[in-house]
Amino acid sequence: MPEHLILEMKDICKAFPGVEVFDCFGFDLREGEIHCVVGENGAGKSTLIKMFSGAHTPDEGDIYLDGKLVSIPSPRAAMQIGIQTIYQEHTLFPFLNVMENLYAGNEIANGVTLNRREMAKKTRKILKNLHSSVDPSDIVGQLGSGDQKTVEIARGLLQESRIIILDEPTSSFSQTEIDHLLSIIKKLSEDGISIIYISHHLEEVFKIADRVTVIRDGIKINTYDSKDITEQKLINDMVGRDVSLFYKREKATIGDVLFEIKDLKGNGVKNASFSVSRGELVGIAGMVGSGRTELAQILFGARRMDSGEIIVDGKKVNIKTPLSAIANNMCYLTEDRQETGLFLQHTLDKNIPIASYTQTKTPFALPTEDVRLTQKYIDLLKIITPSVFQKVMFLSGGNQQKVVLGKWFATGADIFIFDEPTRGIDVGSKEEIYKTIVELLQDKKAVIMISSDMPELIAMSDKVMVMRNGTMVEEIKKDQISEENILKHSIGGSII
Amino acid sequence: MRSKNPFRRITKHENLPLFLVLLVIIVAVILVEFFTVRSMNFSTVAFIKPMNISNVLLQVSVTGMLALSMTFIMISGQIDLSIGQMMCFIGTGLAFLIKVVGINEWGAAAIAIVVTVMFQLIMGLIISRTKLESFIVSLGFLSIYRGFTYLITNGREITIEGRFKFFGRTYFDLTDNFRLAMPVIIFLALTLIVWFLLRYTKFGRRVYAVGGNENAAFLAGINVKNFRLLLYGINGVFIAIATMTQLSRLGVGSPLMGEGKEIEVIAAVVVGGVALVGGRGNAWGTFIGVLLLGIISNALNILGVSPHFQYVMRGLLILFAVSLTYVSSLRASSVKIQVKEGQD
Repeated sequence: MPEHLILEMKDICKAFPGVEVFDCFGFDLREGEIHCVVGENGAGKSTLIKMFSGAHTPDEGDIYLDGKLVSIPSPRAAMQIGIQTIYQEHTLFPFLNVMENLYAGNEIANGVTLNRREMAKKTRKILKNLHSSVDPSDIVGQLGSGDQKTVEIARGLLQESRIIILDEPTSSFSQTEIDHLLSIIKKLSEDGISIIYISHHLEEVFKIADRVTVIRDGIKINTYDSKDITEQKLINDMVGRDVSLFYKREKATIGDVLFEIKDLKGNGVKNASFSVSRGELVGIAGMVGSGRTELAQILFGARRMDSGEIIVDGKKVNIKTPLSAIANNMCYLTEDRQETGLFLQHTLDKNIPIASYTQTKTPFALPTEDVRLTQKYIDLLKIITPSVFQKVMFLSGGNQQKVVLGKWFATGADIFIFDEPTRGIDVGSKEEIYKTIVELLQDKKAVIMISSDMPELIAMSDKVMVMRNGTMVEEIKKDQISEENILKHSIGGSII
Repeated sequence: MRSKNPFRRITKHENLPLFLVLLVIIVAVILVEFFTVRSMNFSTVAFIKPMNISNVLLQVSVTGMLALSMTFIMISGQIDLSIGQMMCFIGTGLAFLIKVVGINEWGAAAIAIVVTVMFQLIMGLIISRTKLESFIVSLGFLSIYRGFTYLITNGREITIEGRFKFFGRTYFDLTDNFRLAMPVIIFLALTLIVWFLLRYTKFGRRVYAVGGNENAAFLAGINVKNFRLLLYGINGVFIAIATMTQLSRLGVGSPLMGEGKEIEVIAAVVVGGVALVGGRGNAWGTFIGVLLLGIISNALNILGVSPHFQYVMRGLLILFAVSLTYVSSLRASSVKIQVKEGQD
């Protein structure tokens, strides 16, 4: 392995409003190596690659390419110096064929007419080099995820990239697709291309990494050579947060079982069973893409389940639509409140009462009554707004989340499903939302909380259910909840 | 309600700018007519004569009825381009039933309503159960209705010879020179109904919710698919009423009786403040929008402007109204981006 450093990052600092993501961060990439980056959700992996790809610029610090200082102000600049980033989501044109995708913006032309033959020839050559069975004339939208990823890699090769960054490339891949992609990556590195590979699947990391860097909370914990890596070391490095950051919640008495699911399947969930009691908070842990949100969608009737049972208050219920979920006193606070929780261009008094209409018998909705109801929850949840007639889009993230909460309080829900309740919310509002959740528990409500925020899960949960690849793999009891324990089950490396 | 202070209530009302535009146009037309056409003799200003006012109201009523149900459809985030041709189809069909088949007027009216609602429900089914754009689907139906119209009429008009007078030719003389026609009464009544539904019922709130954010509406327990279907059904009822009124006024079932109505209607609704993306608008806004377009063409007639140039004027007005919406949505979206960045 040549020791030449192709890319190097020194003393990088990067802050976003309210949060410092990186402080004096250093990272290097050797020529022709596969350098994996691992860390928990939100450890800073994506921010790291965004600084290489030009999506973010560091506040302080330098980036060196071949020992020369470079600046990467835009994605275009990154491509020009030979860094190709392949994001989790596909960035291809689904209705164009493979060749057209590869050459979009860089077409080969004779005068004004395109030289399709030349382009097809080169495309075929690159694909052959990648041992891919894809044909240049295949329409990209009709290819599987694995082949689409290959096309994206081919596009990078066409532009003579020397560094390819892959961010969680294998989410939603089948095992054969994963193996194929890993072999392509191996081959690229043998051809002298340097790879930064971000993943939370430790199996993949063990298979391909030349070196592994663990980051946590924007700090580089360690970089290992492949021969020194053990799963235990990686997990130990990934955990270990400052305990003082944890929220200390008050106790609530746990009562009878209120909500239970048995062997639920469908919508990408392969198997899930758990129960929640009154006054109990069940945390659902797992890496991004492990099927947590998909599970919540079935519980709330937003997607169909294939099989399984949902039992509310001892009775088996049939939840086919959100309407029937609401009738069973359930509610669902989605992870993306702006897309699926709020009517941003509408005022508070049009947002908060909307779901409660399902509970009343009359066909009427009196504005005075809506205003009264809205004002009640503004006061109760301490929503900061000039009036009930403020449009929700003008509120801060924390207050928007409280509006969603108010909407469900107004329905008199008993079973609360929170999906990332504090994502994108400042520390102050976070604490208020935790307080509100604890009050719910003391009020004998049952709470199911999906979260990628470890301290939040650990501090709030009475038990934690861990999901991995669509399956609920482990129930962790209160006294055994620890970062290490949760992480071990959600990542599931070779040892387990 | 909105605010205890009545002055603040008025200044904050979302229809205020539109209302001011209406006032400015009315005053401007009066002044222009006063100074140019009538050589400063106020008593001859035709524009504000009671007879003219009742005429304008009569002229806009049919468009107005269609605009009201289009308000529902567009607030909910959809569109229906087929209404004009549907009017041709149902209108000539109705005339055919009355004249050629000889069915009793009220029986024919009942059939017209049923058929209109049925076709709208078919369209609603397609739009709500598939991911197809209502724009394209209703464009398809537009062509189908045009075909039906020519199959029924063979391109000729069908007179109904003074029958079927109730909807269009019933008048109430309020004073010597101010008469209220039945179409105007229907239009006003429907405006009140739509206003009431949008403002005081769950149904109305759901129209806004579905147009404002379909996903959030679904998760708030609204059956979005069936709701959209219902809206098209209601649209059918409104179209049937408008068609019967039009036929009754004209006295003939003409294959061109609804030609181009969809453009007029959409223009009025958009001028009235309904956002094309949905989620915004109200009944009185649409009412003013309809009136505004009607007043402008009436005024241009009185001022002796060529009808060809009137099209240009109307187009400019629509562009003006749409750019107002655009500017306000720009302001809104820049705020939204700020909020999102703040969260990052």
